Amino acid sequence: MSQEKKHKVKDIFVEGPIDPAFVGTSIAKHATRMDIGAHEIFLGQVRADPVVGAHHDPPATTVSAIEYTAYREMALERMTVIREEAFTKWPSMTCLHVHHSLGIIPAGQLCFMVFASAPHRIAAREAVAWVVDRIKAELPIFGREVLSDSTHLWKTNL
Amino acid sequence: MNVLLFGMIAEKAGADQLSVEASSTGELRRSLAAYISGLDQLSYAIAVDRRIVHQDVPLTGSEEIAVLPPFAGG
Repeated sequence: MSQEKKHKVKDIFVEGPIDPAFVGTSIAKHATRMDIGAHEIFLGQVRADPVVGAHHDPPATTVSAIEYTAYREMALERMTVIREEAFTKWPSMTCLHVHHSLGIIPAGQLCFMVFASAPHRIAAREAVAWVVDRIKAELPIFGREVLSDSTHLWKTNL
Repeated sequence: MNVLLFGMIAEKAGADQLSVEASSTGELRRSLAAYISGLDQLSYAIAVDRRIVHQDVPLTGSEEIAVLPPFAGG
């Protein structure tokens, strides 16, 4: 593993939704890497979850958007540790790209992307699943769910 | 010391920072509960210099302290 790949602190945060075209561009950037044989991509999308009111009255509303905020400095430090561990666990992994939205992300839009590439599929697939779980559990990112009736709830990863 | 607040805890406090005196994280929890009504009903973690601490640890006042409600990334 190169020192650059291991130690560089990357800013994972982007303001607003992740454009699906950005995903395509990210894939295309790897076309010059002849050692890559597999890409694995996880994309998180904001779900319009139904929210039942207290005592089922008033009637259910839905999540219309999530407003993400973060403790940026701690999140980026944690992400650097997770990246290093991922490259240790899957040394064949060629590269790992992580992006997470901040700000208001409407339902149906992309808010999270984890993209791993490797010579073969198993490393890429396992690394993405592991990195997604670690990020959801360990990065101090907070989500305010804006409901269709203009009230809000706070999202919690359980 | 200056304490950084996030998410629902910042909302409850009506601020994203608070100035609190505490010589340990345990004392900090008690002080915060006095400042932020309903905080003791919430699950939250304290990060000292960007690491979550689970035990009661001493504080000198020079640390970066943050109060973190449950995470919701992804």
